[in-house]
Amino acid sequence: SSAGERTEEEPEAGKRPGAGGWAWGVVFHFFLVNVLVMGMLKTFGIFFVAFQEDVGGSSEQVSWIGSIMSSLRFLGAPLVAVVCRRLGERPTSILGAALVGGGCLLSTQATTVPFLCVSMGLLLGMGFACLYQAAAVMTAKRCGTRLAFSNAVARSGMGLTFLMAPFTQLLIDFYGWQGTLLIFGGIMLNLVPSSMLLRPARARPPRGFLTAKEDSGTLGGCLDESTRGETQLPSAQDPPSTERLASHGGDVSDPVNPLERVEKCPVASPEIATEGKRSCKPLPPSGKENSQPLLDFSPLKDPVFCIFTWSFLFSHLAYFVPTFHLVARARTLGISSMDASYLISVAGITETVSQLLSGWVADQNWTKKYHYHMAYLVLGGVTNLLCPLATTFPLLMTYAVAFAVFCGGFMALVLPVLV
Amino acid sequence: KKSTFHKKFLKILLGISGASIAKNITLDRATAVVLSCRLDNKYSNLKSLQVTWKKGNETIGHNTTENSWSIQLRISDNSQLGSYSCTLKGEEEFSAVFHLQVPKIEGREKPIVTYGGDTAVMICKSLGYTPIAWTWYMTNGSKQIAINDTLLPDKYVITRISANVTRLKILKLTKEDDGVYCCEAAFELGKSQGKTTLKVLSLMAPLRPFLAVVAEVVILVTIIFIYERYSKKKEKYA
Repeated sequence: SSAGERTEEEPEAGKRPGAGGWAWGVVFHFFLVNVLVMGMLKTFGIFFVAFQEDVGGSSEQVSWIGSIMSSLRFLGAPLVAVVCRRLGERPTSILGAALVGGGCLLSTQATTVPFLCVSMGLLLGMGFACLYQAAAVMTAKRCGTRLAFSNAVARSGMGLTFLMAPFTQLLIDFYGWQGTLLIFGGIMLNLVPSSMLLRPARARPPRGFLTAKEDSGTLGGCLDESTRGETQLPSAQDPPSTERLASHGGDVSDPVNPLERVEKCPVASPEIATEGKRSCKPLPPSGKENSQPLLDFSPLKDPVFCIFTWSFLFSHLAYFVPTFHLVARARTLGISSMDASYLISVAGITETVSQLLSGWVADQNWTKKYHYHMAYLVLGGVTNLLCPLATTFPLLMTYAVAFAVFCGGFMALVLPVLV
Repeated sequence: KKSTFHKKFLKILLGISGASIAKNITLDRATAVVLSCRLDNKYSNLKSLQVTWKKGNETIGHNTTENSWSIQLRISDNSQLGSYSCTLKGEEEFSAVFHLQVPKIEGREKPIVTYGGDTAVMICKSLGYTPIAWTWYMTNGSKQIAINDTLLPDKYVITRISANVTRLKILKLTKEDDGVYCCEAAFELGKSQGKTTLKVLSLMAPLRPFLAVVAEVVILVTIIFIYERYSKKKEKYA
């Protein structure tokens, strides 16, 4: 195990040997979660077309399924945080995997859109929420100084989603959407053994502790308290209207040095959504930790934070829409479904690369980070406005690539700008 | 009853030596058609040009005007449809072809994948032209068997959704329903077919990969479980 991890493990003298290696197990699990969850979300566009043809229903009705699925991933976060606190991360993760697998299997029996909304939207959404939260929290807990790097490695799982799009299309061509969902259910069940890698930390977590900040691509989002001393991040991204994520309680707060104010952040990825962003709540020193309120609205008092959250809200309203409807649009224009799935793949790869590049560029500090942020947003908006002009495959590909570049760039900068 | 004739005038401009130009004309009802081939002005100095009009390979008579040659046809039944070509022979040769056809029917290029016991829905559309009647056929080997929905009402349901669209619903699918289905639209001038392929899979088909993945999951879970138990025991005694 690394030197960073050893400092954490000092108080954990009784730990079994080789336990440091389990941190990589956690990273691997998170990586797999990213691949499968984001893969499922991004390839929903392909299912969208199949559902429309087979189950029927207008575009609006079918897209509800995807909306519910992706928004519950974050909306469910407070609930999942409570569950996590009660059951621990590993059972929550296994529960999440079971929900996802069960949801997929149940959806094969669907004949109407409302049924799919529940079986695919609700069940999968909640399952994703459980999986994601548990994985991210465990990564934060386990990775110590290497958190930024582990985060980046896990995030790179999103890039692999480009493989899933043509694979999904192939399966649909062979087995129809029901067979594909069945096989996907099985693949998602793979998350059960990988969840078992989330072994609970036997001993005390480090005194200096991590504020794990997730973001969709920035690398140095997290601070290690043991190296920095007291840190208080004012950042919490909160929905302006609703609840905050509950603080992740229990086993972590005990050895806290009463002189340090420790912040603990439950995890949620700010990738989409209207709600459910990460919140860091300052914890009172150890004696009081059981009396934390479940919901804490204090960051909402900061006006800059509010503005930022609104901007985030609106930009994310649009983030997933193009990916969902890209395939349907391609089909309307007469492009074959295999080619359309390549569109999604290319967009996926471009976005990942763009995230990394944008993070690197922003780190060079040539100009203020929020200038980049604004530029990406404006350019992304302009690209979308020009979208109706894309009527052939090359043009549609150009649009997909451009949008992915701007989205990726914007995503990578969310956290740096916030902080 | 005298059928009313529509009129159509179709011209092709010839100017490229050697290359053959083709034009597709869709006719769904009795029409009086005038086909003419005209030579581009830049060739007006060419003399002694001989024009031949052919239907398929047979020569037919024509009218001549300056630099343009045309034929008049009254298309009233299927035998009069076909390919009419004009060939101008002189120092250079020009030719053009008019393909007179019945309207095309749009089926589905991709096969429909369904499972045994399910219902399959197939739709055929006629683009722009309204057929007199629709008939559905199932292709068995090389023969086409008409589907009679009155004979087997709980197996086949044929509905005409709108003037140009027909739908065939097959209930309680079995392996024998697998194959190519043709929807035939009858027009005044003939019949036109669209194809849809139906694939009926048994439930075992996707089940096999699924079970393989589940087996792999179970194996992994067992391995991890055993390893954990083992390392717990080791710690206890360590």
